[in-house]
This record gives sequence, structure tokens and C-alpha cells, in this order.
Amino acid sequence: MADRATFIATVTASLGRSEVLAPPSDTATAAFDDTATAKSNAEQAMATASERSSELAERMAEAAAVIGWKVHRVANQEDAANVIASICEQKSATSVLRSTHEVLTQVGVDAAVTNTGASIGTTEHSGENSSDLVDQSKTAAFKADIGITGVDYAIAETGTVVLHPRSGLSRLVSLAPPTHIAVLRPGEVLESLDELFAMERNDFSSGELAGSMNLISGPSKTADIEGTTVTGIHGPLEAHLIILKYD
Amino acid sequence: MVDQIAPAVGESTVDVLEYLGITVNFLDDQTCCGQPAFNSGFRSEALPVATRFIELFERVEGPIVVPSGSCAAMVRNYYGDLFRDDTNLVERAKRVGERLYELTEFISHFFGTKAIAGRLDNSATYHKCCHLLREIGVEEQPLEMLFQVEGLEMTPLERADVCCGFGGAFSVKMPDISSAILDEKLDYIEATKANMVIAADTGCVYQMQGGLRRRGSDVQVVHIAEVLSKSIKNVGRAESSE
Amino acid sequence: MKPLTVNFRSKAAETLQDAQIQQSIEHVYTGFFKGRLEAAGDTPEWEELRTKGKAIKDHTIAHLDYYLGQLADNVEKNGGSVFFAEDAAEARKHIIDLAHKREIKTVIKSKSMVSEEMGLAEAMNDEGFETIETDLGEYIIQLAGETPYHLIAPAVHKSRTDVAKLLDDDFKEGDPVPDATELTMMAREKLRGVFERADMSVTGVNFAVAESGSIALVTNEGNGRMSTTVPRVHVAVMGMEKIIPSIQDLSTMLRILIRSATGQRISTYVTMVNGKRKPDEEEGPEEFHLVIMNNGRQKLLADPQMRESLNCIRCGACLNACPVYRKVGGHAYGWVYPGPIGAIVTPVLTGLKDASNLPNASSLCGACHDACPVKINIPRMLLELRYRTAEGSSDIEERTSGAKERGIWKAWRIGMMGRKRFDWAARLSRIVLLPIARNGWLKKTPPPISGWTSTRDFPLTASKSLKSRLSSRAKKAK
Repeated sequence: MADRATFIATVTASLGRSEVLAPPSDTATAAFDDTATAKSNAEQAMATASERSSELAERMAEAAAVIGWKVHRVANQEDAANVIASICEQKSATSVLRSTHEVLTQVGVDAAVTNTGASIGTTEHSGENSSDLVDQSKTAAFKADIGITGVDYAIAETGTVVLHPRSGLSRLVSLAPPTHIAVLRPGEVLESLDELFAMERNDFSSGELAGSMNLISGPSKTADIEGTTVTGIHGPLEAHLIILKYD
Repeated sequence: MVDQIAPAVGESTVDVLEYLGITVNFLDDQTCCGQPAFNSGFRSEALPVATRFIELFERVEGPIVVPSGSCAAMVRNYYGDLFRDDTNLVERAKRVGERLYELTEFISHFFGTKAIAGRLDNSATYHKCCHLLREIGVEEQPLEMLFQVEGLEMTPLERADVCCGFGGAFSVKMPDISSAILDEKLDYIEATKANMVIAADTGCVYQMQGGLRRRGSDVQVVHIAEVLSKSIKNVGRAESSE
Repeated sequence: MKPLTVNFRSKAAETLQDAQIQQSIEHVYTGFFKGRLEAAGDTPEWEELRTKGKAIKDHTIAHLDYYLGQLADNVEKNGGSVFFAEDAAEARKHIIDLAHKREIKTVIKSKSMVSEEMGLAEAMNDEGFETIETDLGEYIIQLAGETPYHLIAPAVHKSRTDVAKLLDDDFKEGDPVPDATELTMMAREKLRGVFERADMSVTGVNFAVAESGSIALVTNEGNGRMSTTVPRVHVAVMGMEKIIPSIQDLSTMLRILIRSATGQRISTYVTMVNGKRKPDEEEGPEEFHLVIMNNGRQKLLADPQMRESLNCIRCGACLNACPVYRKVGGHAYGWVYPGPIGAIVTPVLTGLKDASNLPNASSLCGACHDACPVKINIPRMLLELRYRTAEGSSDIEERTSGAKERGIWKAWRIGMMGRKRFDWAARLSRIVLLPIARNGWLKKTPPPISGWTSTRDFPLTASKSLKSRLSSRAKKAK
């Protein structure tokens, strides 16, 4: 039975040393960047996202289309609601789940969905921590036809939507239903993975790291049968990205 | 290999270098760089042969040219491992290695890829030998040189950078695997319909030629030194007959 | 998983004759290899990224003891538990005991090569837990009762007909073969219920972040997300080398991993979890367990010639680039890790004596080194292992070369140590072989090169050596 001390001692000995030494500062990794550096990197990332918001939203749209998002560029909130309603109709959705992202309220997603005859619900029970509630919402998520979320960030480099699951944003809403719709506002698009992980590093060094993070890049895919790419294996078969434009 | 099996490649190398105005000094005492034994794991047998190579070439000055990316890779990239218990030899090997060039690397480095203007009326394709490509880092230069040869119609080879399956002792130790890799290469060669395959290492030349012969194919596999040498001679002859 | 490296030659020969596998495996070149080239070509800073990735891994491995401690501390700080397993048996036992204690019924597995080292799915099924592989390729392999053929495409050798037979009980030979979409949807239907009822998951770890105790999982299918979301117990298993120091290092590592693996800029999902469900989260596991396994890796770490192999991030690019892998297939390598990376780590992890064919099964073409996102010099390590099999290097026990082979190389050395002998040996070979040669070529040769002429003609020694040709040329010139 290995304990931690014995295990690590074996590693130390294999490295040719007799005790664990703290590594000297090395520019190879960001681990030695101090809090101030992390903060300024994150601020820089946010500044770029807002200064170049329309350019980054444009690049996001292009990159997202390449990896299989169905991209809808809309001029205003009303159009966004219309797109959502038409997807619901097209899918003959009866049950829709959504997150509590602010943008969905702005868009008026509840009315848009219920007008199509589908029901819409949200999960927000984290405070109660009851396993029954968790089970109920799991069942609801697996039964839902469509899951709708905002985005916490997006990444222009890769066409990725980033979500930090939390109260009001379940992990399953973007995963279990066969269709996922994400609604993006300008200003939420980061330039690249570098900026995202600079922000994460800053969250970490300031003690605010989220419990989990999902990077979502289009619909679920597999190419495990004869190398043929097939969309929709365990996650959504369809992923829609609605990009809002403010004039 | 060049010395005893393919001396024409060696002589063509001399032709090409002399054409460029270089005085070539062939060290009569040379044998081998030691790569075959080293690659087979027999380092204690490779060691004296490689040491002999170093001692021999230390006695002369100037660049050393070999018509093989593989031999160049051995001296430049692997002598350090072979000699690793002897820092003095590692240093000496490094100094010899710095003077050592593969033929096409040497020509393109000192004279440019347009230095040789010859003529050869034929159709050919080019196989990128692994060690020249990945150990020495020479990819486009030989092709540029071949594009300079008037009358030589070059057809691109599909998967030109994939190994021909030679691999030295590997080709004899695991002939079925080596040949399966070769077969794929030969299919792509035959698909080009070229009369000739040009390569820059004799090991690969004989692997491919040996396989083509066994298939009953007439395609000739030719070392680039021979192509360049012939193309120069063709021009020389034409000029003297004018 | 029990090593069967000793069967390399027979397994390879079998695959060489299998036309269907030869055709299926082409995808690793036409799909993955070319995809990687395109992705690298589209990334202007590609070489810098590789250099950076290598630097991150070099640094981490050089201080692995420190980072292991830091990782464990932070996983515990996040409310998870850490188990250090010296070998596969310990890891397996720990996970099975845990499943018993938590009264688990259904285990979903996400793809993990380390769990293959443990033979975990099979062992858990034997213990009575319904244990199901959820990566589609792994699922197919599990149904077939086989082991993965490739690091990222476990079922790359299977045809649609093979898959149809496995997924559809009613499928009979001669039926029209469903297309890939239909087959994938069959699997989706079968696995959805499994996800919903699973109460434990076992996932691998693509990267474990020491400073935060996070783990990152890279998937395209979404099974990794299901596994970190639905079951109440999440067990993540990792080889001890899978650490990186900082969250920020992930941007480099993810870029090179994903581009090298499939040619994508990003996989559909990258999931980062910092342990169990946080109080403000809607769902997630109640328990998070990280199993960190050694299983012989300390031998690679302690070996200065082989240590670099621990930089491997298991992208599979070396397999896709390898002309030998593409012919002999994944099963020939006889253990968990196929292809060039397998040929260097398997002999050290499972014993060089039985695996001596692995480092020798290479043309040393260098395509693996070229493809590696962290620039592992695989050919150099293959040569090192050949040295050990040929001469025993520092450990004579590792020597597998026969007396005859050693004699040949000794004779070779003697022949190369003087120009006269060299010429004499060459002349002798010509005299002996000339009677059976035609037009300067041989159809048959005696040992030790008889293997060559089984498939190729061999050139006869030239009538005059280069030395003598050049000296007559010099005379003529005078």
C-alpha cells in the first residue's frame, strides 16, 4: 500500500535527489507569475475584448461556423427571440430548459418559447443542496428538447463558447438536450485561448476560481467509425450560436 | 556502400564538385562512418570505426562532402551519443561535423541551387530521403536543382516524404514490414509514370530499385549526383560538338 | 493489462496480410496526419508553441516530486481525495474497493490509457459492476473484447460491417451495412440510458494543474462532460507525469495537443473540473477521487537517456506519422501504448527482454520526432534501446542479441578498420556472388542478408571500388 510520502520519495530518488526541492523560478511556465502580473494580463484580455468587440464578434462568427455551430447574426433582441422561436418550432420542442443568463431575459426568451407552445424552465436550486432536486433536474435535462444559455465568454480563435456552471447555469443544460442554443453579446468575445487562461489564472490567484469550466465548440462529434465525422453522439446533435449586434 | 556497391555515385559526386571548380581530395584510407553497427545497437563495434573516421578527416582541412544524408546525420547528430563517455572525442567529432555537408546541402549552401546548368532529356520524380529531410533539414534544395536541369520533366511524387522502408539493418531484420512500406512507395512511384526516380541516398536507391526490379518494372532509381553529373556532361558534349 | 510484446513479429505478420485492416488504418494518415499538417500550417507560431510545450514539460518532469505534492495538496484543498498507486494492481484495488463501499451499480468510463494499464473495465465488470466504456471507439472495442488500436482512435481498424455486427444484434452477414451516422445513432441510443443511471465515473486526465488542483479533459463526444456531471462519484486516473504547473500553461498545451491529435483547432469540449460539485453549482459529483499511478514510470524518470519520454501528452501524432505503425497496426506492440511512443516506453515499463523487437521495428525515418508536439526525440531513444538489446549496455540482462549476430558485427568492425581489408572483403563478396548474379543484381543472397532478397533484388558489389576508379581517373588526367 503506497502512501503519499513513499510514493513521492521514490520519485525524488529517481530524480537523483534526496529531498524535495522547490523548483527555481522558470519562465517556461506561468506558475511563477505573481498576482500583479496575473491581474494585469487579465485586465489586458478584457480591455481587448471590449475595445475590439465588433472585430472579435466577426471572427467568432467565422470560426464558429467552421466547427459546426449554426450561426445566426441578428440585429436586435427581437430577432434573437424570433430565431429561438423558429428553432423550437422546427424541432417541435415541447420542453425547453434555459440558464439564468441575463441576456436571455433581455431577449425575452420565455415568451418566445411559450408562444410556440413549449414549456420553458430553469434550474436554480443550488442553495438547497438536495439530491432529490439534483435528480429531478437531471431527469428534466435528459428529457428536454432544447437547452438555451448565454455565454460567459467566447473565444474568437477557436469559435468556442465558455461556460462556468453555477447557480442558475447547470452543467447539463448545454449537454443533455439534443439541441443547444447559445446567445452571445458583443464584448463577450476574447481573442484566444491565451486570454481565457490569463483570466482563469487571475481568478485563481485572487482566490475566485470557478468550480468547473466548459469550453464548447459546436455540436458533439465523433469520427470513431471509419474516420467519418458524425455530429451528435453523446451531447447535442445541433448547436446554434446567436450573435447579437447592438447598433 | 557508395565506395563498393555504387562507386558511380561517388565518381559523379566528384564530377559535380569539379564542375563547380572544387579540387576534390578523396581520402584513400576511408571506409565507413560506423552507422550500420550504431543503428543496430552494436556501439562497441561502431566506436572504433567512427573514431577512425574522425582521426582520418581531422588530418585534412576544408569541407567534407558526402553524397548521403544518412552518413551526414550519423556524424553530425549521433556521434555525440556514440562518444558520450569521452568528452574529448565528442568535441573532436563536433568539429569534424561542422565541416561535413551532404552533397546537395553543400552545393546549395555555397553555390546556390542554380549553380548547375545541365541537360537531361527524361521524365523523373523525386523521393525525399528521410535522413536528408528530417535529420539534416534539406527539403526543397535538391528539387530546385533538378528543376534547373533542362529537358528533365519532373512529376511530383505523392507522399514523397514518407519513408521507403529501407532503414539499414531493419530492411534485412524485418523484411516483411520493410517491404510493405516499400510497396506503398512503389505504387506511388509507378503512378507518376516517370521513367526515373531520383533520390539522394544509396540505401534508399537500392531499396526502391531492388523492389522495382522484383516487380518487373523498368523504372530506374538514380542518385541525384548521377543525374547532375550526366546533365553536366550532356551540356559539355553538346558544346564540344558545336 | 498483461504485456504480449513478445508476439510482435507474429502479430505484425498477421496484420500485414489483413487487407481490411490495411485499408481502415489508412485513415490515420489521410485524416489525422494530414489534419495535423494543415493545422500546424495554419498556426504561424507553431514551432514556438512546440518549444514552449517542451519547456513546460521538461520543467515539470525535472521537479515532478514537488509538483506531485502540490497537486495532491490542492486537490485535497478542493475537497477531493488523492490516492497514490505504486502500480496498476494497487490502483485497481483501490477503485474497486471504493465502488463497493459506495454501493455503486453502474460505472461509466471515459477514455483513459492509464485505465488500460490497469485493465480496469474488465476487472470492474468481473466484480459485478456494470462498467461501460463511453467513448464510441472504446465502446466498440469493449464490445469486441479487444484492446485499443490507437491512442485517440481505439477502433480505427474496424470496418462499418464490424461495428454493425457489434452494435446491432439483428445484423447478419449480407445485410446492407448502415452508414457511420446510423451506427453512431445506435450507439447514442444505447448509451444515453447508461449515462442517466450511472452512479460512478472513471475518467482519464489530459492535464492535471498542480497550482489549482484542477484536471482538464479533452473530448469531442461529450462523454467526458457526462462523466464529470452525472454520477455521484467521479474517479480520475492519471499517470504521474500528466502534470503541468499552471492553469495558464493550458493554453499552450491544449493548442499543441488538439492540433497534433486530430488537426482540430479545438476539440468540441474541454472540461476543467476543480474537484467535486461546489456549493453554488446545480449538479456535479458528491465525491472526487484522483488516482495517481507510477506503474514503472520511475524507471523512465531515473534513466537520463529515456526521461524525455515522460513529456508525452498522448496525442497519437507519432503513430499517425509512423510508416511501421501504419503497416503492423496497434495490436502488434503488445501492450497499452502502440506506435513509436509505445516502442520506447513499453520496453522500459514492461521489460526490454520480451519487447526487444519493438525498438528494432523502425526504419529510423524520424517522422515521429518531426510530428511530436513536445519534440520527443524518439529515434534517439529507439537507438538507445537497440544498444541495450544488442550489447546489454550497463545491464547485460537486457541483452537479447544472439552470438551469431554479435559475431557478424565484430567481423564487420574488423573489415572496416583498414582500407585493405575493406577492399578485400568487398572483392571476396563479389567473387562469391558473381556466379548467381544477373546484370549486376541478385535474386537470392545468403544469410545474413537473405531477408532482403525475399522481396527485393540486391545489388552486386561493383567490379571496381570508388577508390580504384578515382585513382585510374587521376592517372588518366595526367
